[in-house]
Amino acid sequence: MRILLVEDDPLVSDAIVRGLATAGYVVDAVTDAESVQSRLDTTHYDLAIVDLGLPGEDGFTLVRRLRRDGSSLPLLIVTARDGLDDRVNALDLGADDYLVKPFALPELAARCRALIRRATAATANEMVVGRLRIDLAGRRAIDDGGRVLELTRREWSILECLAHHSGRVVSKERLIQAIVSWDEEISGNAIEVHVSRLRAKLGEAATVRGIRGLGYRLDDV
Amino acid sequence: MAIGSRLRRAPSIRGRLLVYLLLPLVLLLVASVWADHKTFVTPLYDAFDRALSHTAVAIAAHLERGQDGQLRLEKQEFGPPLHLPGTEPPPPPDDVFGDHDKPPEHFVARNGPAVWRRLFPGARDSFLYRISLPDGRTVVGDEGLPIAQDNSAIDFSFGDATYKQQALRIASYRTQVDGQPVIVTVGETVNRRTHAVRRLDTIIGLSDGIQLLLVLGLCLFGITVALRPINRLRERITHRQPQSLQPLPLEPVPSEVRPLVQSLNTLLVTVRDAAQAQQHFLTNAAHQLRTPLTGLKAQLEVLASETNDEAQQERIARLHGSVDRLAHTANQLLALARAEPSAHSPGDFTDVQLEALIGTVADAMLDRAIAREIDLGAECAPAHVRGVHWLLHELLINLVDNAIRHTPEGGRITLRCGLHGGAAYLEVEDSGPGIPPAERERVRERFYSTTGGGGQSSGLGLAIVEEIARGHHARFQILDALEGTGARMQVTFPPKAAQE
Repeated sequence: MRILLVEDDPLVSDAIVRGLATAGYVVDAVTDAESVQSRLDTTHYDLAIVDLGLPGEDGFTLVRRLRRDGSSLPLLIVTARDGLDDRVNALDLGADDYLVKPFALPELAARCRALIRRATAATANEMVVGRLRIDLAGRRAIDDGGRVLELTRREWSILECLAHHSGRVVSKERLIQAIVSWDEEISGNAIEVHVSRLRAKLGEAATVRGIRGLGYRLDDV
Repeated sequence: MAIGSRLRRAPSIRGRLLVYLLLPLVLLLVASVWADHKTFVTPLYDAFDRALSHTAVAIAAHLERGQDGQLRLEKQEFGPPLHLPGTEPPPPPDDVFGDHDKPPEHFVARNGPAVWRRLFPGARDSFLYRISLPDGRTVVGDEGLPIAQDNSAIDFSFGDATYKQQALRIASYRTQVDGQPVIVTVGETVNRRTHAVRRLDTIIGLSDGIQLLLVLGLCLFGITVALRPINRLRERITHRQPQSLQPLPLEPVPSEVRPLVQSLNTLLVTVRDAAQAQQHFLTNAAHQLRTPLTGLKAQLEVLASETNDEAQQERIARLHGSVDRLAHTANQLLALARAEPSAHSPGDFTDVQLEALIGTVADAMLDRAIAREIDLGAECAPAHVRGVHWLLHELLINLVDNAIRHTPEGGRITLRCGLHGGAAYLEVEDSGPGIPPAERERVRERFYSTTGGGGQSSGLGLAIVEEIARGHHARFQILDALEGTGARMQVTFPPKAAQE
């Protein structure tokens, strides 16, 4: 996986390059927005990390330009600003996620992983969560031993929905919408039953964490 | 109190206008009534005097010198002492000649009580007469009647006198009867003239008074109409968003008020510029503080992962802890500065769903809670408030951060929202040691640090909550947990109706 980093501060840039390298990514760093295009023309990247406060052309303008030119490259914004205006602005312009400085490297790595996973899901119809490979086209989940999990239609829908938002809390209401057609009705208790069965079938491959009053979260480990 | 009473005594433009109009108008009314009175009284009195002089002439015409050389009244065709039943007795009634049925044929000199007469039945005034010689001797009539001062130019002279407790108007006619100079003096009570003057005065007073009231009414109407643009301006100002710094439009403002609006606009622009400058400063400060901290923190993390030496690992961990604390403090300081009302605009206020807010914040804090094996959960009922989304986000983040710091491993934190009697509330309950009531006020102070919290707290978290709650007119309370010993931090927003 190759990541393009656009960051002008050498200390931050160097740390991100080295930190993400230990997480298994190859990171190319540039210091201004102007040199982004030539990199994109010659190399394929799975993700770009863009600092908003760049000298010259700022991050907003870069994001807008990339999206206007039709680029579908996943974009993660990092910034020192924390006002909601900036956040909304960046996401409206087409950024995929947003991280406020100072952040911890593991968090940055997790965000990168999630974004790349989402992008691969759209192109390759496949997602990897923890030790679980989720084949979206074949509607099946395979653990690291190559064993195909036997899931009911509803259990599969729950897993698919959780996997699309892995690392984030998914509310019960959202899960109900994911598994139920218009004419059916299902209670919150029924969801709990389906989730606990799914949890048993996943075993050690991935964890479905129940968050009291809020929903469920699919974690890598 | 002082301000309140001063406000109550503040003069209103309408009141001042009325006072300044009312006083001159009343003076004008008095002056005009007085002038009118003067104008009509002179001709009126002249007319009455002329009538009185005619009476004197008429009496003189009946004077003749008798064979004995004495002057006498020939015939009595005028002024019988009448007292008809049903009419007002002529004043003073005691002195009226009693035998009115048989009036005397001739007037003769007599010394006795004054004989009041009337010119015709029902006449309002009574009169007396006296015919005297220039040497003062009375020939006929009432001896005591004063004679009007001679003014020699004309035959008639007039004067006022009081006689027998009666105010009289006196006319003296100087003439000659058969070569004998005589003075015919007629004295008349002043009832009719007084009555006429009083009536005219009343009518003039009334009509002038009605005019004054009409003018006053018109003034009131005029003042109300003239003040209408000011009222409209006042309404425009009161209907603005409380923190709006938009200049007021100058267009419909009358020229007198325009300078006021202009200076107000200058002030607004100054304040807005200051707020923008502050925003700018905060953005720069955030960038300048956070970027090196990010670099430092990330470098330390990389360093830790590259080192195998345990002693070095420990040192790096300690450094990392300090950098984290520094970063946390920097974040809190920035948040506190941005929570100040001057740092955001009324346009930032939107409808915020508290359930969704709890979802977002819980999502962001979940990893930290899980790392400490804390059961982070929520109990939500639909509720929404009008507020600045990212500030409320910051408020809740700080409450949860505070709860995580003070909850032991394996503890429990519950986020709640809902409605209490129409008022939306946001609440975070933890299973920590709680805060003693004596300390509950002091923990909201800036940089106040409790014994707990593992030395990681910047002492600003609850101050931020307090500041943001105040900016939303919400009440921040520290309560006992519903179950267990922990603290329950509650923010209650004003009821929906009060927010509009």
